[in-house]
Amino acid sequence: MFFRLLMESFRRQRRRKLLAGIAILLGTTAVTAMLALATTIGDRIHKELAVYGANIVVYPKTDLLDVKIGGVDVKPATGGSYLKESDLAKLRTIFWGNNITGISPELPVQVDATAPSGETLHANGLGLWFDHALTEDAHAQRMGAPALHPWWKLQGIWPHDSDAVVGAGLAAKWKLRIGDRLPVTLSTANGVTSGDARSFALRVSGIVSTGDKTEEQILLPLAMAQTISGLPGAVWRVEVSARTKPEDAFARKDPETLSPKDHDRWYCSPYANSIAFQIREAIPGAQAEQVRRVEQSEGTVLQRISGLMWLVSAAALLAAGFAVSAAMATAILERRGEIGLMRSLGASRSAIALLFYAETGLLAVFAGVVGYLLGSGLAAWLGARIFAGDGGAAEAVLNPVLLPVVVALALAVSIAGSTPSIRSALRMDPSAILRADA
Amino acid sequence: MALEIPVDSTTTTTNAAGPNPGEVIVTDNLWKTYVMGDQQVNALRGVNLRIRHSEYVAIMGPSGSGKSTLMNLIGCLDSPSQGRYWLNGHDVSQLNDDELARIRNKEIGFVFQTFNLLARATSLHNVELPLIYNGTPTAERTARAKEVLESVGLGSRMDHKPNELSGGQRQRVAIARALVNRPSIILADEPTGNLDSKTSVEIMALFQELHAKGNTIVLVTHEPDIAEYANRIVTIRDGVVAGDQLSTRNRNQQP
Ligand SMILES: Nc1ncnc2c1ncn2[C@@H]1O[C@H](COP(=O)(O)OP(=O)(O)OP(=O)(O)O)[C@@H](O)[C@H]1O
Ligand SMILES: [Mg+2]
Repeated sequence: MFFRLLMESFRRQRRRKLLAGIAILLGTTAVTAMLALATTIGDRIHKELAVYGANIVVYPKTDLLDVKIGGVDVKPATGGSYLKESDLAKLRTIFWGNNITGISPELPVQVDATAPSGETLHANGLGLWFDHALTEDAHAQRMGAPALHPWWKLQGIWPHDSDAVVGAGLAAKWKLRIGDRLPVTLSTANGVTSGDARSFALRVSGIVSTGDKTEEQILLPLAMAQTISGLPGAVWRVEVSARTKPEDAFARKDPETLSPKDHDRWYCSPYANSIAFQIREAIPGAQAEQVRRVEQSEGTVLQRISGLMWLVSAAALLAAGFAVSAAMATAILERRGEIGLMRSLGASRSAIALLFYAETGLLAVFAGVVGYLLGSGLAAWLGARIFAGDGGAAEAVLNPVLLPVVVALALAVSIAGSTPSIRSALRMDPSAILRADA
Repeated sequence: MALEIPVDSTTTTTNAAGPNPGEVIVTDNLWKTYVMGDQQVNALRGVNLRIRHSEYVAIMGPSGSGKSTLMNLIGCLDSPSQGRYWLNGHDVSQLNDDELARIRNKEIGFVFQTFNLLARATSLHNVELPLIYNGTPTAERTARAKEVLESVGLGSRMDHKPNELSGGQRQRVAIARALVNRPSIILADEPTGNLDSKTSVEIMALFQELHAKGNTIVLVTHEPDIAEYANRIVTIRDGVVAGDQLSTRNRNQQP
């Protein structure tokens, strides 16, 4: 019987209810979209940022001393010990191997080059992978420096065999053009060419502008650098890009101090730290470290974005609350006479309050569910827009956990919004209401 | 044993002692003051009144004298600014909102001058309303509402909405609504005020019947011939009881 009363009441004042419902709908749509994005945005932003460089660096173990000047790594290239290029394939075999999206080994080599002008000039060479298949099979992922540095701008093509790409700065200084020949010899550590050094006839296949120190370097295939420096199979440093879980307090734990159970949990979480740990396990003599710069800026960006999202959500809910409050105020004003009559016929204050609350509650649940559906759609659409070409968009659609959250928010907002007018209607004496109505 | 002593309530001793057995409505020095801005209106200025079970009382008085205000207090729709009121032996000021709602629902039936029907609901639904508020089961509710509508002569108008009924028929619906919970007290504030004299007579015949069945009836009216249907006529003037006497008809019936 209460239900019948409620249904009858619910069908009335449809225009007002429509307005209140639309307000709740818009609010919950915004909130659902924000929440849905917020839950996936970490992953997506990471994917976006991951292309901007490595987040793990692998060194030979004896090369531990950090020599940094102004935050720039100036570790001497001649540390004496090297990693083996053949070990790098093991990177993909570790527990989180599939999360490793980029591997770029480096071998610096000091050379003396004969510029087109005929001068012999000293230069830093850097052996790199450019488009390297990690394994033999045809589907193997292609890895190398260009993939890790998508912002590098290349004129010409990446080098093969005895080709080289020169940095734009060096090319300008030496007046090098694509197709020029560039003979080089290995120079000794102090820059003096040893007389009997073998000469290698390099050819410039491209000019690259990078915006960093490689702008002044000669980039050559890793194999070539190994040949020039007489270190076959040697790698000095490897940059690794991995999809990781954002660092938290647990991620920073020293695995040695954890209980076996926690250790397993740590090991099986894709933290940069645990991936680095697994790399150390996989490659003998390797020291792997997390590069925090990217992670940290990611954290800040995430924090700002989620702050913004909460703000937008709160504003949307607040606006919905005010709209409900305004709609309910007029709706109840219109029905004051009826409220007076109901009370004179024996409806208690609580019964009337219950009726009106049930009515707004019903409205909120309706609007909340529809808002949830719309918001999920909006999130998917926004996700596809913001993170173009991201296959993850589909997973953002319909996160069932959000439904109760969103409906509860809609309920809270509509109850809070309608409380003032319901209270004022109940405070009035029924006799005064009836008299005013007459 | 003539009871025809005109009583001037302003001079009677107070009713502070409370109700005697058989008295359903007892007021003691009832005041109602409305505050409008910095202006105070004393609608009632110390009303003392005793109404016994199954009495039929008409309340008369000039416009603005406080009749409706008194009816609202008696019907627990409003609370006095001062003074005490006992309904069926209970001090109303001691009751909470739920208990007052129950009293309005079960023990009092209201009939208003302006009918106060729900415009969009059928006669049947209007009459069912008080039963809805006390949770009467659907089947019983409909049966009782139909029965009462038939007893006021509206058996053929159950599915009509108020705007499809005449004034007299609307008032009958309102009376049926007041009766549906079988209250012992019926409060009617100018029930014939909006009706022509022929229809008024029909409505008064209904009240007559109700009184014959043992209900207590308090009825406000401006018309002396309507008041004559009652046993007792209380006159209100400027918020106090200015006269309280048996009706002519009743006096003539006295031995
Ligand atoms: N809600 C209110 N606020 C302020 N003053 C009020 C209110 N209700 C009634 N009054 C005043 O109280 C006085 C008594 O009003 P009441 O309605 O009881 O008169 P009445 O005897 O029923 O008159 P009528 O015969 O015209 O119906 C009047 O002066 C009226 O203006
Ligand atoms: Mg009046």
